[in-house]
Amino acid sequence: MTENNIQIEQVSIVENEVQMTAVELCHSIGLEHEYLIAWVYEGILSPTGNSPEDWQFGGDSLSRAKKALRLSRCLEINTPGVAMVMDLLDEISLLRKQIA
Amino acid sequence: MKLKDYYEVLGVDRTASEDEIKVAYRKLARKYHPDVSKESEAEARFKEVGEAYAVLKDSEKRAAYDQVGSQGKGNQGFTPPPNWDSGFEFSGSGFNPNTGDQSGFFEEMFGRQSRSRQQSTMDAKGQDHHAKVMIDLVDTYLGVKKTIALQMPSFDTLGQVFMQERKLDITIPKGIQAGQHLRLTGQGSPGIGKGSAGDLYLEISFKPNPRYRIDGKDVYMELPITPWEAALGETVTVSTPSGSVELKIPTGSNSGRKLRLKGRGIPAKEPGDLFVVIAIFTPPAETEPEKEAYRSMAKTFKFNPRKD
Repeated sequence: MTENNIQIEQVSIVENEVQMTAVELCHSIGLEHEYLIAWVYEGILSPTGNSPEDWQFGGDSLSRAKKALRLSRCLEINTPGVAMVMDLLDEISLLRKQIA
Repeated sequence: MKLKDYYEVLGVDRTASEDEIKVAYRKLARKYHPDVSKESEAEARFKEVGEAYAVLKDSEKRAAYDQVGSQGKGNQGFTPPPNWDSGFEFSGSGFNPNTGDQSGFFEEMFGRQSRSRQQSTMDAKGQDHHAKVMIDLVDTYLGVKKTIALQMPSFDTLGQVFMQERKLDITIPKGIQAGQHLRLTGQGSPGIGKGSAGDLYLEISFKPNPRYRIDGKDVYMELPITPWEAALGETVTVSTPSGSVELKIPTGSNSGRKLRLKGRGIPAKEPGDLFVVIAIFTPPAETEPEKEAYRSMAKTFKFNPRKD
């Protein structure tokens, strides 16, 4: 701890304390807006609110969106494919919990 | 600087066609994709594979690379350590082989193409940054103040890459779990025009600790005990992440029995649990009296664990 260090007064745990709008979520990971809309309609992310302008994303959407972005860019998977992979990954982690 | 052998990374011949390179990349990308793979160094290998592909799929870059590779500097080992990217800061969502901002290795070898800066008269929020940070398990139990050093590749006035370091003093919030993110408002790139600065997101993971296994909010640890402590159900002192605990072993416990210490996992409104897994250690019988003690046990117990 020295005086030269940048003092951060406030941090929030995104997963517990943060709600994001569509614009904020896109900005945080550098995602095009159209992708986000497609992901929501494919069920990859589940915001509250009726239209893209009112959408509110829970904090756990950040990890999910990062994962979806990696899958779609790095493996060049299309949106339905990403949704499928995400469902299977969720299922694997659920099964792993059950055998632990 | 060591020259990485991109052909070796992808496992293809130097004469491989574009299609062969693509197929090799796809296979390895699926194998090492960090969201899918369970291999220990998956992320580092994935990054390496992506970097190799980014060069070899582009005929101009490939030609430039072949030029340097033919000067006999190839075939030098490169094994990035696990979690090599913790403590580094990236703009955008971290690693990504298909966008321009991947590892600087290629650019350092061949010079970076001039980067088009967004010329805009509009006001816009600065870019958000992402970094990974490793903390100790006890940090999340206590919520400690920590100094975090982050390095970020930057460009000097001549366009050369250098590592810019900055140190942040932050309080790790009590109860944070691996995979969760901290948001540091205003610590990303400066805003454009009147726009506000971007934010910095820190993804948290725990430093590996052989004593503990962590699953979400729950923590598992092994408790070595003697056969008599297990049989007689004695009370032993256990050192846990939240301090020492006097623990009564249930009479007649066997190895593998899980004792749940409710609420002694990672703190939260509904805290996780600490699971103490019993492991009975057999005392070695080396001296004559020790051997005699076992023989007398055999006589007393007439115990056969394989009787069915």
